Amino acid sequence: MDEITVQSTGQGQVQVYFTTTSPDIELPEEKRQLRVPTSVRRYGLSQILNSESMLDTSAPIPFDFLINGTFLRTTLDEYLIAQGLSAETTLTLQYVRSLIPPLYEASFEHDDWVSCVDVLSASSIAGTWNGNEVSAGQERVLSGSYDGLLRIWNKSGQTIATSTSASGGGHTSSIKSAKFVSPTQIASSGLDRTIRVWKYAEAADGFSGELRPSLELYGHKGSIDSIDVHGPSHRVLSASSDGTVGLWTTQKSLAPAASSSLIMSAPIAKRRKLTTQTSTPQRGPLSLISSHTAPVTAAIFNPLDSTVAYSASQDHTIRTIDLTTSAVVDTRTTSHPLLSLTALPGISTQLLAAGTSARHITLLDPRISALSTQILTLRGHTNKIVSLSPDPESNYGLVSGSHDGTCRVWDLRSTRQGTKDEGGGLVGEAVYVVERETEKGGSRRPVAGEGIKVFGVAWDKEVGIVSGGEDKRVQINMGRGVTRADSS
Amino acid sequence: NIDPASLLPNLPRPEELKPFPTVCSTLFRGHEGRVRSLAIDPSGSWLASGGDDGTVRVWELLTGRQIWSAKIGDEEAVNTVRWRPGRDAVILSAAAGDDVYLLVPPIVDNETDVASREILDKGFGHATNAVQELTANGARKEPVAKWTRPGSRLEDEGVLIKITLRTTVKVITWHRRGDFFATVAPTAQKSAVAIHTLSKHLTQIPFRRLPGIAQTVQFHPSRPLFFVATQRTIRSYDLQKQLLVKIIQPGARWISSFDIHPGGDNLIVGSYDRRLLWHDLDLSTRPYKTMRFHSKAIRAVKYHKGGFPLFADASDDGSLQIFHGKVVSDLMENATIVPVKVLKGHKVKNALGVMDIDWHPREPWCVVLDPAVSIGSVS
Ligand SMILES: [Mg+2]
Repeated sequence: MDEITVQSTGQGQVQVYFTTTSPDIELPEEKRQLRVPTSVRRYGLSQILNSESMLDTSAPIPFDFLINGTFLRTTLDEYLIAQGLSAETTLTLQYVRSLIPPLYEASFEHDDWVSCVDVLSASSIAGTWNGNEVSAGQERVLSGSYDGLLRIWNKSGQTIATSTSASGGGHTSSIKSAKFVSPTQIASSGLDRTIRVWKYAEAADGFSGELRPSLELYGHKGSIDSIDVHGPSHRVLSASSDGTVGLWTTQKSLAPAASSSLIMSAPIAKRRKLTTQTSTPQRGPLSLISSHTAPVTAAIFNPLDSTVAYSASQDHTIRTIDLTTSAVVDTRTTSHPLLSLTALPGISTQLLAAGTSARHITLLDPRISALSTQILTLRGHTNKIVSLSPDPESNYGLVSGSHDGTCRVWDLRSTRQGTKDEGGGLVGEAVYVVERETEKGGSRRPVAGEGIKVFGVAWDKEVGIVSGGEDKRVQINMGRGVTRADSS
Repeated sequence: NIDPASLLPNLPRPEELKPFPTVCSTLFRGHEGRVRSLAIDPSGSWLASGGDDGTVRVWELLTGRQIWSAKIGDEEAVNTVRWRPGRDAVILSAAAGDDVYLLVPPIVDNETDVASREILDKGFGHATNAVQELTANGARKEPVAKWTRPGSRLEDEGVLIKITLRTTVKVITWHRRGDFFATVAPTAQKSAVAIHTLSKHLTQIPFRRLPGIAQTVQFHPSRPLFFVATQRTIRSYDLQKQLLVKIIQPGARWISSFDIHPGGDNLIVGSYDRRLLWHDLDLSTRPYKTMRFHSKAIRAVKYHKGGFPLFADASDDGSLQIFHGKVVSDLMENATIVPVKVLKGHKVKNALGVMDIDWHPREPWCVVLDPAVSIGSVS
């Protein structure tokens, strides 16, 4: 570590002032100001901070550095020149734990487009509810496909279970959304306008399992494009293209009867061919909330209070729903159709991130007391943003999946003032772009509309960034090589 | 003719007229051979298409995924696909050869499926009870069209009614209430234009003589008027009073298509001789504005019907021009027309460029029939 400072001989130096918002890695006041060589980059600064004379970390923590809301991606010298600053300036460097480059790990092949993914691990939502336990190495990836099947994979890409087909009580059309409710229960939804609850059981060796339907939920009159689950209360939320948000229970005995006129969901044309012999119980919704005026694309439980839901719609609005009364208590109107939604812990208060058809992500403060609606806009995708997932290790990070064929990683701390063209406001740009591995090595960038669409993405601490798309693959990207010097 | 540049100085800049579609976002691949027609459903979720492979297809608009397909033309191409208006049922109409089909694609819930089938089946009683007119010599007149069940193979696919006319149908257009639709078979002499009543399975020929070859027709968006375009003129008729109301003269040599502004007082016309014309029906039977931006024939023109002041034309030169076209309620003031975007990138294939366009019912998005890539949606 000492050699870094030695390298400075004969080079220019600049005064820097280190700050951080994380109290556990704060420097004592007298060490915050330092002269450093202008030739250093992120890696050199990170090593200086980790050194014995500074933080004296037992294992090196990779750091990134923000100057005026922008991540340092060059040498300090290049930064000073680009900004037209003299070396006499004192640079304030905000250091943050480094986002690790999400490198490609593996792909799991499907027969058809992959519409959604979820992860079960010790730290995933379903893995932490009600004392559910998932031991290391037993992580599972769930994928839903346009072929109408759910698949459960281990981290090495072996299929452990596949859901039963339509004739065995499975979905009669493409799956659009699927979530682990617990290590033994899954909920899924799709184009057949049903939610299906599945019982999942694995053999003792963990190499095979069974995924059997336990409940069919009817009530929506349009495709159910997104669901969310809350294990402790056995609740499921659904977002449908019929414009309603559904609230359901996975507990058969508590679920209301289903409307018989909706049950024959297979069209008459297909009924003759499809004589289903299964007898999965059929139930209806606890409530259907009609408030949106266009397809609802996402409905999520408030992670801080499961009696509150947020829904996003192509009608440009995000609505806050009190689930105890099924009443819409707040409506936020944006400028574009919304296609995806997630909640983030945020910097000082919880935020909602909504992906739009207009290629950007809008960040909102959902509190009714909040005066300004739009906090920040994340720009960089070149097509619709249809899936979002929070960074499991940071309050400031998230990943997005887009029809432009990429997933992008964002850090809310990295911002700049938007240009006039962008309508002003604060703008954030992606920290990392995760391409489809299937497109790599291709000689040309796909033209507009031709990208390999990403339909679903989930970010798990143990497994990494898991995404699925038009390339019929689940792709896993995970940070590695964290203490590497990078040149960019 | 007006040079586009000369239009610009007094007009707002395109950037100030956002939103309008700018980039292609989704491609719809799957048809074999040429696609001939496309239409977005009234809910804005589905796209229907038809083409030379004789199939009608339904796609998820946002993802480009094909959800359903039915082969209705054995040898014939599907020349046109149009959704029945309204949200009470989901019915798609399509024409292949001399036949018009009414379909209920399996994309709806059971209640809507039942409601849609009831709307289609209601007329069977009327048709069987209807007494055909007698001709002068006492023989039963051959009906102008036969409404039948298309047979179990097609019925299993959701293709539920077949209406057989006497010549190839090129155009279907619906009345807003969803009980009437009109068809155009340009090569038919006397029966080129037919009006069909769904609830009665009844086909009528409103005009025994037309002053030229019928090109296309439209119902007025709010009044009981019916517009018929022949090669050089567009005539509006009061169907209830059986009266000719107006003869609109765009001055084009060969009209390819026209569309009526949702307000009902303005009209755009596209022509094979490369002209785009805007008519204010309050002002004159002559165009208020004539535009020549394309180097080849204009195939299709269409207004946005969901609240955006937008319209578009599609040309054989491979480009699509998007216009801002704001109609003001003041009778003395003319519409503001500003070309805001040319979408090129549409390759010309066999001298056929952009063949058809449709607008999304709510958003400033359009779908474009592009022979090079099948279909693209632009947002
Ligand atoms: Mg006027």
